[in-house]
Amino acid sequence: MRSILNTLYRAAGGLAALFIMAIAGLVFAQVGLNLADKISAAITGRGVGLTIPSYADFTGFFLAASTFLGLAYTLREGGHIRVTLITGHLPDRARRGTEIAVTAIALAMTAFATWYMVKLALESHEFGDKSPGMVSVPLWIPQIPVALGLAILSIALIDDLVDLLRGRPPSWEGKGENLLNE
Amino acid sequence: MTVTLLSVILLILLFAFLGAGLWVALSLLGVGIAGMALFSNAPLGLVMATTMWGHSNNWALAALPLFIWMGEILFRSRLSEDMFAGLAPWMNRLPGQLLHVNVFACGIFAAVSGSSAATAATIGKLSIPELKQRGYPEKMVIGTLAGSATLGLLIPPSIILIVYGVATEQSIARLFVAGVLPGLMLVALFVGFLAVWSMLNRHRLPDESENVPFRERLRRSRRLIPVLLLILGVIGSIYAGLASPTDAAAVGVVLALILSWSSGSLTVQTFKDGLMGAMVTSCMIAFILAGASFLTVAMGFTGIPRTLAEWIGAMELSTFTLLAALTIFFVILGCFLDGISVVVLTASVIMPMVLEAGIDPLWFGIFLVIVVEMSQITPPVGFNLFVLQSLTGRDILSVAVAALPFFCLMIVAIVLIIVFPEIVTYLPGRM
Repeated sequence: MRSILNTLYRAAGGLAALFIMAIAGLVFAQVGLNLADKISAAITGRGVGLTIPSYADFTGFFLAASTFLGLAYTLREGGHIRVTLITGHLPDRARRGTEIAVTAIALAMTAFATWYMVKLALESHEFGDKSPGMVSVPLWIPQIPVALGLAILSIALIDDLVDLLRGRPPSWEGKGENLLNE
Repeated sequence: MTVTLLSVILLILLFAFLGAGLWVALSLLGVGIAGMALFSNAPLGLVMATTMWGHSNNWALAALPLFIWMGEILFRSRLSEDMFAGLAPWMNRLPGQLLHVNVFACGIFAAVSGSSAATAATIGKLSIPELKQRGYPEKMVIGTLAGSATLGLLIPPSIILIVYGVATEQSIARLFVAGVLPGLMLVALFVGFLAVWSMLNRHRLPDESENVPFRERLRRSRRLIPVLLLILGVIGSIYAGLASPTDAAAVGVVLALILSWSSGSLTVQTFKDGLMGAMVTSCMIAFILAGASFLTVAMGFTGIPRTLAEWIGAMELSTFTLLAALTIFFVILGCFLDGISVVVLTASVIMPMVLEAGIDPLWFGIFLVIVVEMSQITPPVGFNLFVLQSLTGRDILSVAVAALPFFCLMIVAIVLIIVFPEIVTYLPGRM
């Protein structure tokens, strides 16, 4: 079970990273085409007019996918910022209690968000919503990774809540401020 | 329920969430949920899903992961080690000598990394031992580092300006260009202060008489020059209108990869580490922005920002009084929150008030960033202070005292941009 979950978080995180690479690749390719266009316009007086169709839309979709698929991985790496000024000074038992409460609240909100993001994707599918660009994409497709990422974050929060209730430290404990411990 | 009562409830809730250690993005989301549930009958869940989706698939925001990735790549190349060797020979003759290396090294590194704490840590790790060994007074070494590391927030490509631009729907390109002159002005203020201080305290500084010939200087800084060109290229192409910030960022990533490959520091491992590091940071910031976008919409339903704006409008404060009050408010807020959270909260709640007062949102962005810079070096929560505390082993109070002159210089900078707003608006006005 442990290794299945860890694989899930890592796979989603890896996928999120791939989407960032895809953004870089896509935008760089378009810049290259723009440049070719300018050069051709300067030499022959006529632009070649090459564009990757709807590349701005795709960049946005990739970004959303990357952000949401990376959520669980970032949580476990201690990457999501929080204020630890107060909780850091609490006695151990009180801190444990707060940590459990905070994780439970986070789980409730994430589960709520997941539910409605799934509903949004289903609605987009039902109504046949499409992106406006030259290449029109049914919106439910790029909405799936967003809903999926929230769902994986919910799983990660359940995972940590169980650990906390069993008296084990959460996955993010001691991480995040690694800048200070280098 | 009256707006005042609701505002108080939501404010208490926000501080309860944040204080208990709930993640910032979720705290914003939670306050938004509470606000909408208490004050409107709009379909909460659906509005939330639509807003989060609509604001996270955004072409302009794509500059964020790319610039972060560019910084991560350069961060893992030998850039920081080259910085000291490359800059030191140029600073020998200035009064204040190698103390200026801190300012310029932080300025360059900050431009690349966009993170103030990372800059303080990286440059500090190299320059603190080196400068101490040469006999520079510790207080000045710490102070220059604390102050200069905050430059990264202002000098483009700045992550926090992307956040401000996306959250308030301002052009990121214009914000970047607007940040250039104020950034240079701060550098000039820091350098000027160091020079004056050194002339008054000459006996406390070591004698640096090594005179390096020009060609030798160039040779020692040869690895810095490509990085400088990269930064200039990124800003220049945005200014000239050749590229949007997202375009420039993608080119920056590719050039950074080439630079780090040619210096032999690009391995499969550093590539992976850099990419995953960029993904984590970008995910954290974009998630906060998603939470903040929902909070902004929810606030619109509650009418709090509008009431606040009318209230401030009715007081008929002068712009100067309003800005002074906001500066104090932000510095206090910044004592407890990080810069990005301060910026997104501002966008959600305070922006209508600022617009009502007739303040240019472009100018306000730069103002806000300088104030956030100041909050990085105020106790009890100032990220630069934490970093320098752990690097030097001094307690946070003495670090804060060392940083105090630089805090005052930033106040000077604030006053200057209020009196001469053209410092901010001149360059973007010519785009």
